[in-house]
Amino acid sequence: MTAPRGESIPGALTRLGFDEPRRALSLLDDPVLERVIQRRDAIEDDGLARALAETADPDQALLGLVRLMESVCRGPAPALRTRVERVLVEGGVGRRRILEVLGASLALADHLVAHPEHVLDLVSAEPLPVESRGELLTAAALTAPEGATAGEDALRVEYRRQLLGIAALDLEAEHPTDQLPRTAAALADLAQGALAAAHALAVHRAGERAQRCRLAVIAMGKTGGRELNYISDVDVIFAVEPADGVPEEEALAIGADLATSLMRICSANTGAGTLWQVDPALRPEGKQGPLVRTVASHRAYYERWAKTWEFQALLKARPVAGDPEVGAAYVEAMSPFVWTAAGRENFVSDAQAMRRRVEDHVPAAEADRQIKLGKGGLRDVEFSVQLLQLVHGRADDNLRSATTIPALEALSRGGYVGREDAAALATAYRFLRTLEHRIQLQRMRRTHLMPTAPADLRRLGRALGHRTDPATEILARWRSTAREVRRLHERIFYRPLLAAVAKLSEGEVRLTPEAAQARLTALGFRDPKGAFNHLRALSEGVSRRAAIQRQLLPAMLGWFADEADPDAGLLAFRRVSDELGTTHWYLKMLRDEGRAAERLAHTLGRSRFAAELLEQAPDCVQFLGDGSGLRPRTREEVESRMRAAAGRQGSLDQAVQAARTIRRAELFRLAVADLEGSLTTTDVGHALSDLAGGLIQVALEQVVRAHVAEQGRDLVTRLLVVGMGRLGGREAGYASDADVLFVHDPVPGADDQQAQDDALDVVRELLRVLGLPGPDPRLEIDADLRPEGKNGPLVRSLASYAAYYERWSLVWEAQALVRARPVAGDPELADRFLALIDPIRWPREGLTAAQVREIRTLKARMESERLPRGADRKTHFKLGHGGLSDVEWCAQLVQLRHAHAHPELRTTSTVEALTAARALGLVAATDAEELLEAWTMTSRLRNAGMLWRGRSLESLPSDVRDAEGVARVLRRPPGSGHLLDEEYRRLTRHARTAYERVFFEQ
Amino acid sequence: MDRQQEFVLRTIEERDIRFVRLWFTDVLGTLKSVAVAPAELEGAFAEGIGFDGSVIEGFARVYEADMLAKPDPSTFQILPWRGDRPGTARMFCDITLPDGAPSMADPRNVLQRMLGRAADLGFTFYVHPEIEFFLLEKEPKPGRTPTPVDQAGYFDHVPHGTGHDFRRAAITMLESMGISVEFSHHEGAPGQNEIDLRYADALTMADNIMTFRTVVKEVALEQDLYATFMPKPFADHPGSGMHTHVSLFEGDRNAFHEPGAPYQLSKVGRQFIAGILHHGAEITAVTNQWVNSYKRLWGGGEAPAHLTWGHNNRSAMVRVPMYKPNKGNSTRVEVRTIDPACNPYLAFAVLLGAGLKGIEEGYELPPETEDDVWGLTEVERKAMGIKALPSSLHRAIQAMESSELMADVLGEHTFEFFLRNKRREWDDYRAQVTPFELDRYLRL
Repeated sequence: MTAPRGESIPGALTRLGFDEPRRALSLLDDPVLERVIQRRDAIEDDGLARALAETADPDQALLGLVRLMESVCRGPAPALRTRVERVLVEGGVGRRRILEVLGASLALADHLVAHPEHVLDLVSAEPLPVESRGELLTAAALTAPEGATAGEDALRVEYRRQLLGIAALDLEAEHPTDQLPRTAAALADLAQGALAAAHALAVHRAGERAQRCRLAVIAMGKTGGRELNYISDVDVIFAVEPADGVPEEEALAIGADLATSLMRICSANTGAGTLWQVDPALRPEGKQGPLVRTVASHRAYYERWAKTWEFQALLKARPVAGDPEVGAAYVEAMSPFVWTAAGRENFVSDAQAMRRRVEDHVPAAEADRQIKLGKGGLRDVEFSVQLLQLVHGRADDNLRSATTIPALEALSRGGYVGREDAAALATAYRFLRTLEHRIQLQRMRRTHLMPTAPADLRRLGRALGHRTDPATEILARWRSTAREVRRLHERIFYRPLLAAVAKLSEGEVRLTPEAAQARLTALGFRDPKGAFNHLRALSEGVSRRAAIQRQLLPAMLGWFADEADPDAGLLAFRRVSDELGTTHWYLKMLRDEGRAAERLAHTLGRSRFAAELLEQAPDCVQFLGDGSGLRPRTREEVESRMRAAAGRQGSLDQAVQAARTIRRAELFRLAVADLEGSLTTTDVGHALSDLAGGLIQVALEQVVRAHVAEQGRDLVTRLLVVGMGRLGGREAGYASDADVLFVHDPVPGADDQQAQDDALDVVRELLRVLGLPGPDPRLEIDADLRPEGKNGPLVRSLASYAAYYERWSLVWEAQALVRARPVAGDPELADRFLALIDPIRWPREGLTAAQVREIRTLKARMESERLPRGADRKTHFKLGHGGLSDVEWCAQLVQLRHAHAHPELRTTSTVEALTAARALGLVAATDAEELLEAWTMTSRLRNAGMLWRGRSLESLPSDVRDAEGVARVLRRPPGSGHLLDEEYRRLTRHARTAYERVFFEQ
Repeated sequence: MDRQQEFVLRTIEERDIRFVRLWFTDVLGTLKSVAVAPAELEGAFAEGIGFDGSVIEGFARVYEADMLAKPDPSTFQILPWRGDRPGTARMFCDITLPDGAPSMADPRNVLQRMLGRAADLGFTFYVHPEIEFFLLEKEPKPGRTPTPVDQAGYFDHVPHGTGHDFRRAAITMLESMGISVEFSHHEGAPGQNEIDLRYADALTMADNIMTFRTVVKEVALEQDLYATFMPKPFADHPGSGMHTHVSLFEGDRNAFHEPGAPYQLSKVGRQFIAGILHHGAEITAVTNQWVNSYKRLWGGGEAPAHLTWGHNNRSAMVRVPMYKPNKGNSTRVEVRTIDPACNPYLAFAVLLGAGLKGIEEGYELPPETEDDVWGLTEVERKAMGIKALPSSLHRAIQAMESSELMADVLGEHTFEFFLRNKRREWDDYRAQVTPFELDRYLRL
């Protein structure tokens, strides 16, 4: 073939794949290639150029070839030049190997330039058994001429000579990912041989003394697993036994010297460079521990002290050099430990940490380029496989392989993971490892990062067979593989559980109930048997529901396991599902609507409050599917829905129950949104207060309507419900009562007594219907803040309030009125009531000294008297030091004194009042901040406690599990529950001193 | 660590130890001990020994009262005074909650937390205390004035002196427990002795001081004497202090040392002192934790009562001792307020906390005070900007209450408990009618 007419030679070279054609052309013209190039007239069609074009990096390969040939020509043996040139001219395997290696590795090219004679070894490379590798390396090291590092140098040169062969076989493979296991094993063998040679050299140098101890080198990590990279630390452990008649102490000392010498022989940087670091850090006690131990001492350590990850490391232990008997004794002594790890005490929490490590992923440095540690990286695959091996390997010794791919195959054969999933994971693993190999090969550097330079990406893409746009294609393929790994993790870990309980042979998975329970325990379920039964109930059978749930549950199990109480989450899900399973939209929503299932799982595992609401009203689940479903509804929306629902009912009781059903649904909506973190404390307070107000309004309308119907006449009075306390402030919590005052005002001309009777009837009836057992958590109505308290009439007319306040008003009543806000009833009456109380709560002259003193005394008395028996004065949310009432009383005192002069202070909200007081300079900025911070934190904790427990929480939890649950509701990281205590005490201590300054003006 | 545990188990076997005392310290610095049989020890290492925390001062409910004592094998020592065989040994414990989280109430944990923070900044904290105490004839009956064993003075050699024998026996015993003694001599007051321990890292030293107090009391009892670390047992004689030399090291390098600087004191050293002076009033409730401590501080003589520093000024709170040429690593700072009845874990933690704060915030060191502070008039002190230390436990509590630093160093729980306990002590003290009052006022 010739170049198309008009195409220049550089153009042709570009088409072949050269990046810098002019440079390539001048290199091809180099005199050293003179006898190699056959077609000088059409250089681009020469066999050499075409062969170069096949390599991963033609430019690099060509430059390397010119350097190599310069070295060959310079060399002392003219025969070598002739032989090399013949290989290059003849083409075929030999030429391909040379060019592939030069194109894929600068480091190996450098080695060839330094040792041109090795090019022939490269050409004739073939797989070598591990023994031969060791013998060749040992011979090189031991026969080196005398000299300080001559042995090391010879070892390094021989090591690289063999490395060339491994690289040649690797690079010429048609499917590099298929070749990967063989390459990784060959690299491990080479490392093993080097360790053996280093051991022999160390023994040789130690002379007679070395005979007094028997040292075995145990390979760990990837060397032990026989799946090494091109360049990596080689993990080892040393075991030592004394030779006959030698005291143990002495043998240990000699063994430590030998081991140190061995490590130095491998890692020292000599004239010929270095092999790799030998890392003994996986030994018992890590870096603190002695370098060598006897087998018995190793055993004693693992019997007593070792941690789960250390057992995980032992999985790969394999004797590779030194005394074979000691090595065998070591393995025999250790292997039982690996497989009892799953029975150890901390195994569950360690395993969870491992799982979380895989799923949450601690972002490593340069996470977006990490092939090994990034999301969906090699470490994920390895950990998933090892975790499953540890969990199930105790009962099944077929799983005990030290090598990732065979282990995965064994898990698949044993039915612990699906066959297709295992195959897909193995493919992904091989691809990622091949990427890693190709990247490391270039410079023989220990790196696990995707390169960024376009030339590097291009070489990488071409090495893996991408030709059109190699850089882009390889990045895309890498990313999609990482995604696949993440997805597969879930499939291999959770899906088999379902197959086990449902007794289905899904992809040949056959987990026994025992194996399934072992895995559930490792996930953090405290009652694996119960969980197993729930799973079975959810997934057994041939119904559409069971089929869909089998699809959903694997992922949901992972989400449950993230929460503080996975068992409760799963149980609640079962209840909801029993209730709704046959409803057509339920399963469809979970299956089809993205986040719905995930939201449901997290909600149920995190909040008993939400779970209980849902169990009573499973249909609330609908909100989860709808993106806008979690927006809290406005007061108007809630009220109109309640009104509509109530209007459709026959009786009063039914009507109010219907309104309360709406409230239950809204509570669930709020809880879910709150748990997701999409609401502020203020949002929650507003929504809960509006919900209470709406219910009271609709219930009041219904009661009045029923009253009218029953009496056959209109009411002779108009009614108003005024919210007080947190309801008045629009700052209600999940567990708040509704503090209210009832007000009525007779219509013109009505009889006062009859009006009072009507009002009382309606209010009593209102309290009755709201107090009935109902679908929602009962809204407790508390009217004790009314004039004269419990002794006063439940409802008063506006005129009566006016008369009362004129004559009797006490300062605490004025204070309570600070937070009065009409929440239901007649709007016009509301205005008149506010006109009546405004001068009382915002008195023109502020407070007198005597009134201030009275409020302070009252507060002090309340603090000492109202605290429940056994409650801790420091940690009680409402009455404790720096708690809610400290902050609220500060705000109210400032409002009583200054709101008349400063309209900004005329608010029922504690937060708004303090913010305004701060802006006005009435409260120092730092004091206001500390008060608000403590108030917000306490309100959040109280809400979180209710969400977590389903019962109100009055003070800081004294139970560690409760603390953990509350912390998780606040979306703190797992295991941070015990930190709440310290934080709460600090915030409230600050608030308490601020309170002392603000409230007592000290 | 695990090798240590093995070592402990082996030693127990070899030395025929029948009881192991697990030691820990309550918030006020009282030594607590629980004895376990060697067979229990392996379990204690793995899981800890459970006990009811609510009965220990300051350990009361953070969460459940159940707590675990986990022995620290690096502190294993055979107790010499319990006879040779079968022997008794002791280890200090870390206190944890049932879920393994360290207890916020454990003073050892408070110090460890501070040391961890120092380590984050690259520092190790070394201390070297000079511990003074009185030797008395027998344990005094309640209400009786105690009698010192001799009438000697500073550095006096007392022929056939009881104190001499005593010090020799005590030092022998301390050395046999691996606690190195640097120096010992008779102190200024009758019956008063001083023993200086060789410097060590602060955690080891706090453990050593707990051991030291026990050893000194044990040896005294063996010799039919009574030893007291009460700060001021005699109104007419100087009290007992625990002058504490402290230094920070960055690796092998003394971070306080800078050749050529005034007193060879580096910037870090100056900021550390500035931190201690700046927060001196806040930390006093911990370094001088008893009502009686303030009678020593305000009793004149060598006791410091003002927030000052100086080179050769024995009335200063902080003294920079003379520099020995070519011994850069010996540059250190001597804090003279602390008394030997403190809780050493907490005292070292607050010293370190104040000093580190000085470094972190870059405090300026105020000028050195060269005069004897006691010799100055009130007005002179005012003019020179010299502030006083708290004059009583009450004042010290007030200074501590508003200290963020103290809450941060001690942790909220210990901070709160300590203050509550000390307020109660002050209230109890204030309720006393003393001989002084009876003497003066009965005739009114």
